[in-house]
Amino acid sequence: MSTALSPQSTPSPGLGYFKGIGTVFGLEMKQRLRSRGWYILLGVWFVVIGLVAAFTAWVTDQQTDAGQVLFELMVAFVLLFALLVAPALSANAVNGDRAAGTLAVLQVTLLRPGQLLAGKWLASWVASLGFLAASVPFLLWALALGGVDPAIAAVSILMLGVELGVVCALGVAVSTLANRPLFSIVVTYMLVALLSIGTVIAFGLSTPLVRGTVEANVPQWKGSAYLQPSGAEAEFTCMGPLFETDVYHTDRTAWLLAANPFVVLADALPYSEDNLSGGPLEGIGQAVRYAQAGAAASGPECINGEPRADDVPASLFPIWPLGLTVQFAGAALALVLAWRRLRTPARRLAAGTRIA
Amino acid sequence: MGTTEQRTTGRGGISVDGVTRSFGTVQAVRGMTFEAPPGAVTALIGPNGSGKTTLLLMLASLLAPDSGSIRIGGADPLQDPVAVRRSVGWMPDTLGVWDSLTATEILVTMGKLYGMVPDAAAQRAGELLAEVRLSDFADKPARVFSRGQQQRLSLARALIHDPAVLLLDEPASGLDPGSRVELRLLLRPLAAAGKTILVSSHVLSELDEMADRAVFVSGGQTVKTQSLDDVGTQLRWYAVSARDTGALLRALEAQGLAAAVGEGTRRSHVRVQLGGEEQAAEVLGYLVESGVGVCAFAPASGALEETYMSLEGEKP
Repeated sequence: MSTALSPQSTPSPGLGYFKGIGTVFGLEMKQRLRSRGWYILLGVWFVVIGLVAAFTAWVTDQQTDAGQVLFELMVAFVLLFALLVAPALSANAVNGDRAAGTLAVLQVTLLRPGQLLAGKWLASWVASLGFLAASVPFLLWALALGGVDPAIAAVSILMLGVELGVVCALGVAVSTLANRPLFSIVVTYMLVALLSIGTVIAFGLSTPLVRGTVEANVPQWKGSAYLQPSGAEAEFTCMGPLFETDVYHTDRTAWLLAANPFVVLADALPYSEDNLSGGPLEGIGQAVRYAQAGAAASGPECINGEPRADDVPASLFPIWPLGLTVQFAGAALALVLAWRRLRTPARRLAAGTRIA
Repeated sequence: MGTTEQRTTGRGGISVDGVTRSFGTVQAVRGMTFEAPPGAVTALIGPNGSGKTTLLLMLASLLAPDSGSIRIGGADPLQDPVAVRRSVGWMPDTLGVWDSLTATEILVTMGKLYGMVPDAAAQRAGELLAEVRLSDFADKPARVFSRGQQQRLSLARALIHDPAVLLLDEPASGLDPGSRVELRLLLRPLAAAGKTILVSSHVLSELDEMADRAVFVSGGQTVKTQSLDDVGTQLRWYAVSARDTGALLRALEAQGLAAAVGEGTRRSHVRVQLGGEEQAAEVLGYLVESGVGVCAFAPASGALEETYMSLEGEKP
């Protein structure tokens, strides 16, 4: 009898937790690196980002802070496109295997559901980070124009990577819960849209709910002080009778914006408050800070006969830790549900599911 | 081979007792009870949709039964799936391969997922590929494989961790006759080495040669268990042809046997029911002596087909 058919002498040891994750990761990466689609997408991505970079550079050429503005625009575009690409790379990870009949083959091994999910998530994240890597030349171009704080550059790339990881985790989880790849990809896009656009819409629609009134009167400017740059002490006194005026206490609803990927990214960037460049991310960050301050920063200039602070109070907490917490919690919840779905021997199956 | 004995006897075979499983309103498995002993090939025979695949999924520890108990080598897939997975090799009916991976990579990956160290997995992969005659395709991506090659790769995949129990779901579908013979030549030594082999199929001719025992399922229930050693005493139809069909009919009637001209085949023959091999030998001897010019005398169908068709007839 041949050697292959005769039993081996020692039974295999167990499958270590990280070894299992590593094997799934390797399996996924091999397939991704050998598929032509990934390279085509990367090529298209490179060209599109390159065109955006060239156009932006041309437009912002005359500005003083061209480097900073170009860099922020590039980061914002990279985030936008990354949010579009990451669901496509992650949201068929599990049900695609199920459709191909290869998921059950993995499930009959010693592999545990957590290892399967972790390996697939890591692989889709790394595949998405490839797109981030392809944009690095253009980010370096913007850096080369000068004026960008290295800390801002580092935090930008770090947060881009983190946001990709969150979207990939959502995609992998949804692909486990939904039966068809098309459906799970659409659902993941919807979740991304919910975070990116839905949060803004919710914030906008909620503003009438936080409408309130304050007693205001009118400012009396000292000479031509209103022409001077802001930031200094208010150069006016409050005069005249008090009257009721509408304000919006957006400080009560600003948290709605927290989980927005653009807000998380923008809010995490370490700006120096006295050297603002007018870049788009900085603008988003400032807008969120004003929303957090509510009527205290954007209402009438005189409240209760006192000049209001012209600037956003420095005591405001950054909102991005809250945003990341919400995103992590959502992704973790989805992954737990996915983990329950992948447990075998399975007791309940969704209608129409064939486990093999 | 001294260790073989200890390991297989220690693990035993498959024991299924009153297992049921439904999917929503569809009762896929209504009550299956059978044993598959080690050292034998047990055939699981039934029409499409009779619950064979669902049963195998439960044996492979992928599906939980609604009720009833399953023991594989003494282990319950619900309580100890890890022990079951270590000892079970499962070849699914749907051919799933990672298209872009080579045959070797697929086998090594599976070996690693069973906890094998890469070197041992690679060595085992090479041996198995030689065994299923895929050595020339070891470094070819699986997408170029023909259906038969994919089947053989799938079998090698099920064997990678040297399981004591093999579950094969329709292993011969899509195989050409030569590959079916090879499959048989591959499985018989495994059974001889003490492994428990359960083969589901509805291609009965291949199982006739391969299986030691047969479990018939219909409508989600086990309806009959048959050992192929019993075939010698089983009541069976024989097809007899002679140069003179009229003389043959008269000779058979003279023996008191009900004979009829068979229909539905190209060549004219006479069908006669005989009670086992002994009577068949007697009748053949008589016919030869009577000078009707017997030119063919054989069972009308395979032993399993005979049982299968009789069960089909009983169905409501």
